[in-house]
Amino acid sequence: MTETLLLGRRAVREIARYPEATIPALFIPLFFLAVNIGQVSETFPDTTPFLKGQGYAAFQMPVSLMFAVATATSGLALVTEIDNGYFDKLLAAPIRRSSIIFGRLTADLVRGLLGATVVLLAGLAFGVHMASGVLGAVVLVVLAALFGVGYAGFGILVALRTRNVQATNTSFLLFFPLLFLTPNFVPFDRLTSVMEALARINPVSYVIVGLRSLVIDGWVWDKLAVCLGVIVAMTALLTALSLRAIATYDRD
Amino acid sequence: MEARSLRRTFKGGVEAVRDIDLGIGRGEVFGFLGPNGAGKTTTVRMLCTLLPPTSGGASVAGVDVVDDPAEVRRRIGVALQEIGLDPVQTGRELLELQCGLYGIKGTEAEARTTELLELVGLTEAADRRTKTYSGGMKRRLDLASALVHSPEVLFLDEPTTGLDPASRLTVWEEVRRINSAGTTVFLTTQYLEEADQLCDRVAIIDAGSIVAEGTPASLKAQMGHDVVTVDLAGADSVRVEAAVGGIPGLERVLTEADALALYVEDGAGSIAEIVRRLDGADIQVGAIAVARPSLDDVFLRATGRRLEGAQEEREEEEKAA
Repeated sequence: MTETLLLGRRAVREIARYPEATIPALFIPLFFLAVNIGQVSETFPDTTPFLKGQGYAAFQMPVSLMFAVATATSGLALVTEIDNGYFDKLLAAPIRRSSIIFGRLTADLVRGLLGATVVLLAGLAFGVHMASGVLGAVVLVVLAALFGVGYAGFGILVALRTRNVQATNTSFLLFFPLLFLTPNFVPFDRLTSVMEALARINPVSYVIVGLRSLVIDGWVWDKLAVCLGVIVAMTALLTALSLRAIATYDRD
Repeated sequence: MEARSLRRTFKGGVEAVRDIDLGIGRGEVFGFLGPNGAGKTTTVRMLCTLLPPTSGGASVAGVDVVDDPAEVRRRIGVALQEIGLDPVQTGRELLELQCGLYGIKGTEAEARTTELLELVGLTEAADRRTKTYSGGMKRRLDLASALVHSPEVLFLDEPTTGLDPASRLTVWEEVRRINSAGTTVFLTTQYLEEADQLCDRVAIIDAGSIVAEGTPASLKAQMGHDVVTVDLAGADSVRVEAAVGGIPGLERVLTEADALALYVEDGAGSIAEIVRRLDGADIQVGAIAVARPSLDDVFLRATGRRLEGAQEEREEEEKAA
């Protein structure tokens, strides 16, 4: 545990020392939020049934939240360390290798909490009203940050498997189909049948639906449970694969 | 430290290390000398538990590297060829983290960090990020980070490659000091002088196999008393060898790409005879030089070619002169 805390503290320190790695990552979700609202808010005025009296910003904000927290930053940091030799130094130390992964994920949690808070504040500035109240806002930020932690496992996995900076960097592109084959612009029932079928088998859809329910509906427990279930399952799977990759790292 | 038929084969059948045997006593400075790609780093990585052997085995500080890698890691310090530093951290932060990873905490970690920074001459730069350090400073910090827990065995993989001569001397002094405190040092190098200066014993590795092993003095003594190098300058080596063959005191002749190395009892005394015979055979050659045999001559004898680093060293010596 001490090792994880030490390595986590080091990774968190990187966030403060490399703001240029975090700030541009926040620009994209804020940009999408502003552009999407600007483009379709007249198409979907606050009288639109699925908006339940709120503006389109309330519908879009969860998507921007996920954009803000899903990054390949940890994977990139790890592959850079593999490249410059520091990773070998850590492997040669008498520590559990899992602490290297968990140290990185600690930074993802902090980065996710910061990023989600910024997007939430931007959403509130766009007139979003949290139907689930202040506690709902806290849960929204925490769930989004946890999704970021889970997603970071993918970048870490690619970093450990490929040991290649370019491959790890481009792994982020996978997020686009995962994010856009969802009810990100309109609810499931307003999608074409093909898109709806794809969206319904995409687990990320249920994370968006869960987060959105906190903003628009209030406390809808079944949606939140599915959302949390998807986040936990994704985090468990990707973390387990990353742990396996680091445990067998030197057997090639 | 011991290695028994240690072998490592990579994907595609590349045999990086082929059944090597090593025995290194406590407190020794053991040199692993060889050109790039000879298998030095692969051997170090196996002994440091960073790479599992394909077959054979090894123990470090009496602990088996495969059966109990965690215990081996507690007992060793590692400074690999690629300097392993986190560029985002300062020198002090890096050493304090390293202390923490080895279970040294709080004020003890702070004191050990301060001590090590002083030891490697980085006190003034301690609170700067390591990405601002020069190559020599990085190497010294890397060395310090390998020492936080006072390891029984220290692995140094080409610790002076890429360093200027002054930084190289500083690292040598540090290695001697560490060893004098009782630490066993396993050092890989492609520099003959480094092996000669620092090592109690040397193993020469080429193409994954150990081709010679012993103290530097004993290895050189096997080569004879003196070596006379005849720069052929385009002359036919077979004719030259025939001309000088049988001179008094000749112990061995080795042919290189553009030179002949004659190992003789009395180098200075043989030069006149060599020149007379070459004149008699009407052979024009380039320079003729006499020297004591070096580890490079040992390498030449074992492999049929010179070490890559040897030429570099000769050039550096010439520059210094």
